[in-house]
Amino acid sequence: MDMLLHALAASLAPETVFAVAVGSLLGVLFGAIPGLTFTVAMALVVPVTFSLPSEPAIGLLLGTYIGGMTGGSVSAILIGIPGTPSAAATVLDGYQMTRRGRASIALGTAVAASAVGGFVSLVVMMVSVDLVARLAMRFGPAETFALLLFGLSTICGLSEKSFLRGLIAGVLGLMVMTIGIDALDGVQRLTFGTVTLQQGVNLLVAMIALFAVPHVIDAFVQYYRNEKQVDAGTDVRAELPSPGELLRHGWLMLRCSLIGTGVGAIPGTGGPIAAFLAYSHARKSSRTPERFGKGAIEGVVAPESANNAVTGGAMIPLLSLGIPGDPATAILLSALLIHGLIPGPMLFIEHPDTIYGIYILIILAYVFVVAIQLLGIRFFVQLLRVPAHLLAVGIIVMCGYGAFSIRNSVFDVYSVAVLGLLAYGLIQARIPLTPIILGLVLGPALEREFRTALILSRGEADIFISSVPSALFLGLAALVVGGQILRSLRGILAARKAETPSHASADTEPRP
Amino acid sequence: MARPAAAGSRNPAARRDAITGAVLLVLAVAWSATVWLTVSPGRFGVGPRAFPLYLGLVLALLSALLLLTGLRGLRRTSAAAAPAGDDGDSPAGAPLTGWPLVRILGSVTAIMAAYGFLMQGAGFVVATAAVVAVTMWFALGIRRPVMVLATAAGITAGTWLGFGVVLGAYLPRGTWYALF
Repeated sequence: MDMLLHALAASLAPETVFAVAVGSLLGVLFGAIPGLTFTVAMALVVPVTFSLPSEPAIGLLLGTYIGGMTGGSVSAILIGIPGTPSAAATVLDGYQMTRRGRASIALGTAVAASAVGGFVSLVVMMVSVDLVARLAMRFGPAETFALLLFGLSTICGLSEKSFLRGLIAGVLGLMVMTIGIDALDGVQRLTFGTVTLQQGVNLLVAMIALFAVPHVIDAFVQYYRNEKQVDAGTDVRAELPSPGELLRHGWLMLRCSLIGTGVGAIPGTGGPIAAFLAYSHARKSSRTPERFGKGAIEGVVAPESANNAVTGGAMIPLLSLGIPGDPATAILLSALLIHGLIPGPMLFIEHPDTIYGIYILIILAYVFVVAIQLLGIRFFVQLLRVPAHLLAVGIIVMCGYGAFSIRNSVFDVYSVAVLGLLAYGLIQARIPLTPIILGLVLGPALEREFRTALILSRGEADIFISSVPSALFLGLAALVVGGQILRSLRGILAARKAETPSHASADTEPRP
Repeated sequence: MARPAAAGSRNPAARRDAITGAVLLVLAVAWSATVWLTVSPGRFGVGPRAFPLYLGLVLALLSALLLLTGLRGLRRTSAAAAPAGDDGDSPAGAPLTGWPLVRILGSVTAIMAAYGFLMQGAGFVVATAAVVAVTMWFALGIRRPVMVLATAAGITAGTWLGFGVVLGAYLPRGTWYALF
């Protein structure tokens, strides 16, 4: 109780509240603008948080995360383009509601459902985070290694349809992280004798390069091709549904929130998967499934409560095990590390007040997000009209200064320029970025735990299978990898069977 | 000249996979060789060389697989297999290629690098204003001086206020002169 009061006092300090408010606003704005996601916003905000104390810094990032998850629904509903991939399922019915003149109630319902999803997942998170951390308390290096490997395998397997490309991405991330001075032996690896590479590739530099720079390039490409932006309606506001209306969807919201939390807790999944799962669940369980796709309010309620519930779910492995499941939580992890807070079971012993503080900050963020959406929607819909290429110019400035401010080093700005170009190439080659980031984040720990375990066992490899949790996680990882390989093999076989000499059609040929 | 383009457009996904696989394979082999030659294996057990080396070899294996998949897809010329399959998230329309793409990629990279260079030498304020103006005028080809100048001034003032004043972050003042 004492701890809770202490956390409350720290979290409700004026500068922390202000930081959460700014973060929520930034998140909602970035979330609402198609193409800009909350991941980009978080990557750009992180360097700024260095100069802040830990509570406002975490508050700023949590606000951005939660605001972004919610803000995506605005453009999904108003112009039929999801502001973030997580809001893609909301387009199906949300945009139809706008076309039928019910935009206000769709926006209001989306906000309400988001908040409910967030709160339900917060409750689930509070209960399970403690439980999981207590289980993980006894983990030694072997168990931790097995767990990390399992996390990485689900990330590689689930973040993209092609398992091969997912694996390639994960390995690329792990490889990049071995550059620099080896933490255990102090040996230089792949530094080519240069001083700048001794510290290795900075994680935040990589994040900015991977997420923000390709967005800038994309915006320029679209500008070059003269692609028109869709105009948002001028007079909109968000209208909260009546309590009776909310109560009528209460059961659906609860179920979809639980779906979202569960999906979010699995590393490598995330908002888009949760939202589509919830949407199809709502349609299947509806008594009038034919209304879906034609402006059914349930089609907004389900994905919006699910994608916000992902935030709580994703925090479970992050806080209790130190495993981030998506780029957003990976950024959160790096911010926590910078402030000396190492997520994992030890955090619950050493800084229990931080954990309580995070719960309070999440609640605070939802209060702000709901308020911003209800009061400020008229204003920030105008932002949707700012041309994408001009926003991109602003993003260039934020990338450049963000990279510089990490270590006050110009070398980092050059790195962002070069790595950003490479990242764009990877996107064009359809190598998914999420496993790269998580490889970068988890790589050092993976190697450290593996080698420490072998040092402890004097080189005996059976340390990894002699403990039950370790063997279990390794088995699960093998299952994930094996299942994916089986699935792609089956796909190849099916394709071979279907391979009949088809007419050489030219109907799919794009213009030269 | 038209032949390879036509062959590529029949199954662009397979061609892309083949190219990606080949590039990554070369990279993986070069990486592994560098690791083998430059990193010491360590005195006992799993030393500092093992992880980077095995990761490089795994990447070589995976990229060889990707290369093979792409080549097989190319050999199978049926156009029907190419599009629907696993092309879920690609943006609508044909991808931009050739000179315009190279120009955009080059200018974004150059702008970014120039921004870093200028920030150190000329300071945050001058560098930001210059980069915004140059980007709009040259890279985007917006030839409306008032708008370009206003945007440059606006973005510079906004970021200067946000980062420097509100957050109190360090803004480089430039090493070329001692003005501020």
